[in-house]
Amino acid sequence: MTHTILVTVLLSLTLISCGKKSDVVEIQDWNFGGRPHLMVWLRQRTESFEQTHPGIKVVQSDKSWNMIREILYASFSTGTGPDVVNTHANYAAEFGEAGYYYPLNTFPDFKEVRHWYMPELLETTRYKDNYYGLPSSAIAFALVCDKAMFDAEGIAPPKTWSQFREAAKRLTKCTDGDGIMDQYGLVLMGGDKGGFAYRMVPFFYKAGVNFMSDDLSKVEFNSPMGVATLALFADMYQVDHSIAPGFLAYGHTETNDMFCGNRVAMCIEGPWVRGMVHEKDPTKEFYIVAVPVPDEMIDRYDTAPTLQDMVMYSVNARSKNLNAAWEFVKYLRNEEADMAWIRDDMGALAVTTAALNSPEAQNIKDLPLFIKELKNARPLPPHPQIVALASNTFTPFCEKAIVGELSPQDALDQAAREAQSVIEGKE
Amino acid sequence: MKKATPYLLLLPALLFTALVVAFPLVQNIINSVREVSMVKGVGKWIGLANYTHVLHDPLFLLSFRNTLIYALAGTLLALLIGLALALLLNMKIGRITTIASFLYTIPWVLSPVVAGFAWKWILNDHFGIVNYWLSSAGLIDVGTSWLGNPHTALFCVILARVWQFYPFAMVMFLAGLQSIPQEQYEAAAVDGATTFRRFFHITLPNLRPVISVLLVLGVIWSFNDFNMVFVMTRGGPMNASMVLPVLVREFSFVYFDLGKGSALSIMTFVLLVALSFLYIRVLSGKETA
Amino acid sequence: MKRIILVSTICVVAFVVLLPFLWTLSTSFKSLPDVNTYPPEWTSVNMSVRPYIDMFFYMPFSTYTLNSLIVASASTIISLCTGSLAAFAFSRFQFAGKRFFLLVFLLSQMLPGASVIIPLFQFLNAMGLYDTHAGLILVHSAVLLPFVIWLLYGFFQGIPREVEDAALIDGCSRLTALRKVILPLALPGIGATALFAFLGSWNEFFFALILTSSDATKTIPVGIGLFVGEYNEIWNQMSASAVLFSVPPLLLFALMRKTFVKGLSAGAVK
Repeated sequence: MTHTILVTVLLSLTLISCGKKSDVVEIQDWNFGGRPHLMVWLRQRTESFEQTHPGIKVVQSDKSWNMIREILYASFSTGTGPDVVNTHANYAAEFGEAGYYYPLNTFPDFKEVRHWYMPELLETTRYKDNYYGLPSSAIAFALVCDKAMFDAEGIAPPKTWSQFREAAKRLTKCTDGDGIMDQYGLVLMGGDKGGFAYRMVPFFYKAGVNFMSDDLSKVEFNSPMGVATLALFADMYQVDHSIAPGFLAYGHTETNDMFCGNRVAMCIEGPWVRGMVHEKDPTKEFYIVAVPVPDEMIDRYDTAPTLQDMVMYSVNARSKNLNAAWEFVKYLRNEEADMAWIRDDMGALAVTTAALNSPEAQNIKDLPLFIKELKNARPLPPHPQIVALASNTFTPFCEKAIVGELSPQDALDQAAREAQSVIEGKE
Repeated sequence: MKKATPYLLLLPALLFTALVVAFPLVQNIINSVREVSMVKGVGKWIGLANYTHVLHDPLFLLSFRNTLIYALAGTLLALLIGLALALLLNMKIGRITTIASFLYTIPWVLSPVVAGFAWKWILNDHFGIVNYWLSSAGLIDVGTSWLGNPHTALFCVILARVWQFYPFAMVMFLAGLQSIPQEQYEAAAVDGATTFRRFFHITLPNLRPVISVLLVLGVIWSFNDFNMVFVMTRGGPMNASMVLPVLVREFSFVYFDLGKGSALSIMTFVLLVALSFLYIRVLSGKETA
Repeated sequence: MKRIILVSTICVVAFVVLLPFLWTLSTSFKSLPDVNTYPPEWTSVNMSVRPYIDMFFYMPFSTYTLNSLIVASASTIISLCTGSLAAFAFSRFQFAGKRFFLLVFLLSQMLPGASVIIPLFQFLNAMGLYDTHAGLILVHSAVLLPFVIWLLYGFFQGIPREVEDAALIDGCSRLTALRKVILPLALPGIGATALFAFLGSWNEFFFALILTSSDATKTIPVGIGLFVGEYNEIWNQMSASAVLFSVPPLLLFALMRKTFVKGLSAGAVK
């Protein structure tokens, strides 16, 4: 009898200790989107991380980029969520303010890690003295011009607004003789509110217009120069008819189809453009140039800022495995990893100084242009409400001005009033 | 004990409903009268401030109007088409009606997310098949935009909604038609009634219960239908097709203002409850009569 | 002559109605560069079944299918069991608050997903049911319940009381009468309702998206949603998945068509 009890007890103890986890730490990584090469690379890099860090297991989950806000808010507001996640850098303000993201600068080795990156890019993850992410994929917006169309017309890619407007006008034509326009100078992305803002703001920035004051207290896009920027597009649409009229319904696919299908001569895109276009039409050639500047600012052509955007990897402030998560994030974004952004089509630019200045970088088509633009580029202001302000206030009013429902002045003034009240917390 | 039987029978269903419906409903009511933000979470009591903010929001009236049109037009058209097709298929011309009734239910079975994209593609202004046919036939100009035109965008999402909902109506009508007693038609034939009169005096009255169930469910579902509009237009262009569920999402997940989002949800909820309450009164009135 | 007109009408209607589906079908066989070209083509040079195969490598769709089957079947069974009891109560009993309870069972349809999701998430998370089959089944069952109750209510109404009165006279209790007499008669109607419920869960996207996280729990619609990313849209595989996963419900519909319509008409919608 005692024998049986003893055996049972020993057996139970063994079983209990087997049930207890060994010292393997498990972290969750939620991956939102990415070009196909990036996703493949991510899996490989994660495997390599697990091999070089035997105590850590990474459970990866692909999530729907379109529903990123719903997914993240549901999890973070309940105190759950992944240990590591990739979001756009402008979430640093929002999620940093809300306490969802962990301030990475509290890790002791951040002092060294921070020097891997281009300083401007790292600054984009900063909000109120804390850094909430490590830079991942850098984006600078540039102007893309269809080579065949421009060459046939004998014009060079535009540098100033007048040249831009003229090019768009000349390249808006009827190509099949039935008297109806089927080729347009420019396409905009009106069907994607965020995407539209990202393609408008570069022109504002190049013209020296701020979206908001540096202390984030005052909206500034309705300055006279801002109104002039919007007026440029309004005139192109209403007077020259050189902007594709269906633009209000166009998302990424539609603008890409328009460009690849030879329906438009110019579009405003980022480093993904070569991969995206060649996926659809491997033979298409195009010029990628800096976004044009106002005529009177031509002397600033090489230094005027375009819009910068960036993805970053962040750590959940409530993670139970902060150190493991930090190790993983560092491994994903160190200089060695970053070279993949130079060698492969990741749809975006590298972020480390080493990679961006490497000899390989100079050889890859378009990279020099994007890197040059990146060095001067500025992100959207780091305000917690910037996503809502850009998509829901800036975009609709700009669209109304372009199609002629409002004058550019009225549109931007009304938008500024609305944005100002959102900033000040009253509605 | 006997008296308790119906309540006991209701109990399991009630438990489900309580767990999964009551809690969110209560949360929404609470959130709607408090200041809720992403940063501070659920904050202090602010009375009806969220409700007034919603009412003063320029998008509210627009969304409300659009949703009413979407729900009513979408449901009524779906019912009309469902009825027409049910009548057509009821004529039993042989094998083809079996195949057709199967094919006609496909819109309902296709994943709603993909259905939205499919509509976007076929309505694309330059690359869509619909414009290709219409412009080849000379009916419209090349590149006419449907989803990018504020005047036609709502119409397009309603069309997609009708396409998605009519199979349900059709199936219910088919069943309803087949349960109409033949004697009624025979009697009418003896009296020399025309097809027209037979339809309005026999068919329709017999279908009234089906029609009322479809109307109520159709309207309620349309009021909360997020997918179709979101995928096709996101409520655009320039908010021309903004509907209440998409607006709730804007408040709750773009601005992260759950207070406003909840207030709008409660307002929609109250409206739908009122409508359903009226419907149930009518329905049970008929039963006891 | 009349026959020819009717047949051609049926065909034309079929084509118009199926246009979005046919276009999806066409896209599902194309290679990615051939999607949405000008002029639009129904067939392109490089068509193959590759997208149908590739999609299983892009994402673990076999797992997602299993998950969808589990969730949809369980939700259907649960909502039917609980719902039929409630429908029976509404149909065969008069009691105080009947109208109120009828209304209560419509309520869950009346809140938009966006306003329900956070509380639901919090609730499931607190119960430890986040990212589980059970959690999603719970939610789907509750969402399907009103629909199931109302349909079954109609079917039960269509079964004459004399039938069960005979059974009661023979000495059965109400519940035995339900089990032995009414349910068999209502079986076609129940089959129809089961189909509607199954389809409702099979295609449900929003709750499945937020309430599942790992591949072991994701359902098919969540997987389909992953084809559309930020600068990455794999239209051909997405179309293939949509077509492929319409087949199970369509098969069920086809198989049960006879019982289906007969069930609906057997006093269903009176």
